[in-house]
Amino acid sequence: MEAHTEEYNKYFKVLELSPKAAISEIRSSYQRLKTLYSGDSIAITAVSDDFSEEQRQNILSQIEEAYTKLSDLFKNSERIVDGKPKNYKSVILDDSLRKYVADIASFTGSELRKIREKLGIELHDIAGFTRIRRQYFEDIELERFSGFSSEVYLKGYILAYAHYLSLDPAKVANDYIARYKAWKDSDNGSNNGKLQSAFRNQEDNNR
Amino acid sequence: MKDNVTHKNKKCEVWAVGSGKGGTGKSFITSSIGIHLASKGKKIVLVDADFGAANLHTFVGVGKPQNSLTDFFEKKTPLKDLVVNCGVSDLGLVAGSMRSFEAENIKSQQKVKFFKHINQIETDIILIDLGAGSHFNTMDTFLLADKMIVVVAPELTAIENLYQFIKSAFFRKLRLVLDAHGLKTTFQETWKDREARGIKSLKDLIEYLICVSPQVRDIISREMSDFNLHIVVNQMRNGQDVFIGSSVKSICMKFLGFNARYSGSVEYDESVTRCINRKQPFMVTYPSSPVARAIGKLSENLLEGKEIIIGKNGSAY
Ligand SMILES: Nc1ncnc2c1ncn2[C@@H]1O[C@H](COP(=O)(O)OP(=O)(O)O)[C@@H](O)[C@H]1O
Ligand SMILES: [Mg+2]
Repeated sequence: MEAHTEEYNKYFKVLELSPKAAISEIRSSYQRLKTLYSGDSIAITAVSDDFSEEQRQNILSQIEEAYTKLSDLFKNSERIVDGKPKNYKSVILDDSLRKYVADIASFTGSELRKIREKLGIELHDIAGFTRIRRQYFEDIELERFSGFSSEVYLKGYILAYAHYLSLDPAKVANDYIARYKAWKDSDNGSNNGKLQSAFRNQEDNNR
Repeated sequence: MKDNVTHKNKKCEVWAVGSGKGGTGKSFITSSIGIHLASKGKKIVLVDADFGAANLHTFVGVGKPQNSLTDFFEKKTPLKDLVVNCGVSDLGLVAGSMRSFEAENIKSQQKVKFFKHINQIETDIILIDLGAGSHFNTMDTFLLADKMIVVVAPELTAIENLYQFIKSAFFRKLRLVLDAHGLKTTFQETWKDREARGIKSLKDLIEYLICVSPQVRDIISREMSDFNLHIVVNQMRNGQDVFIGSSVKSICMKFLGFNARYSGSVEYDESVTRCINRKQPFMVTYPSSPVARAIGKLSENLLEGKEIIIGKNGSAY
């Protein structure tokens, strides 16, 4: 960011970031601080005698302002930031959704789909952004494992998907790949699956 | 270049480790950082300045040394003559005193001498293990350090006491600095009449003082931006505990107005206690355990002025 003014440095400081931070860091810092100052973490409870509700609200609105200003800055910037094109729409998980996500023991295809739908994101948004075929994301959600020629490819797709939804990519991939492996170790993986896959390729060609 | 400690004849760097509450793991962290840095080729001297509960020798696996800081204060033995070798090479120790050598008994002249002597020890880094709590002798030693390190455990009381400790340290610093600028009476009178002036907290005091004069304002704002804390979270028991450090750091900056870095986080591991009970230095016994690796990372961060970054999944790197 060449045109950084004092003002923007201030916003980076509010989000406790260096002015070189990428949009993904801005996003996660914003989420973390917002959760901290609106919640009742013991780190906050321990100072609660010293500080008024008003100060807390004040900090929250500073965080909000900093985030809005910085994401606008990135949106309007011509630069490709953090490897993402400028039209990247950042995804913010609100508190209830964060909670929902935190309670998920293991990420299955249907859980992922639910989260995506709650966020109001369409599969073609992800496809357009990641340049990965929409079909693969649909296969992920429906757990049509046969659609994937290898674990390596699947892993790449699931990471991209999780990243787009602001989920923890490592955890999502870990859970999901485990399901893929379980499927592969079962009968489906060998015969039936190949057949399905062959059918789908046919469909694709007919389109 | 404060960080360049390898240079010959250069004054050594002093790191002080404090905490609000006892039992957070100050001595464990101090000794472990010492052992790690010594193994990386730094010359280290540990100083046990916890007068109430001196036990640093146990953490490095040596018996209670004959001589201790008491000899410095009572018999005027030079501090550098009190450094004993530990089992680890390049690691020295000035033992503390378990006798009823109360911190309050140390006179201010002795303290000045102590600080002077500390800087004369020939080594790269001096690591001082402080007593818990906010006694002004502890505060002064903490403030003297080139690096002020605080250890906190992920529990409410430890965090409360940590904030208390930090505020006391800055209060003390404010007083000393204003003293040094000939503004002793400004400070004293403000503090004496604090009730009438509606001053209930350190923040109120600071807000009041910066309005006294542009000079005072400049002094205070300089001191606040010079006040750098290095935060260490110890005894983490779950994946969420790593966030405590970022939260405490954020609050130090946003609520208290100081600079803070989150230098490292160390998990809870039962073998730490087992090692202490057997008088085995943990870092030597389990050098490749997650705890030892976390201590390694912490030490490097302190050395280089870096801090940990937390991934979205809570992993620290
Ligand atoms: N990372 C850790 N994992 C497990 N136990 C720990 C850890 N750090 C400290 N302890 C335990 O806490 C006790 C207190 O630690 P200590 O370093 O003596 O605290 P302090 O010096 O702050 O009073 C130790 O005896 C040890 O049993
Ligand atoms: Mg101790």
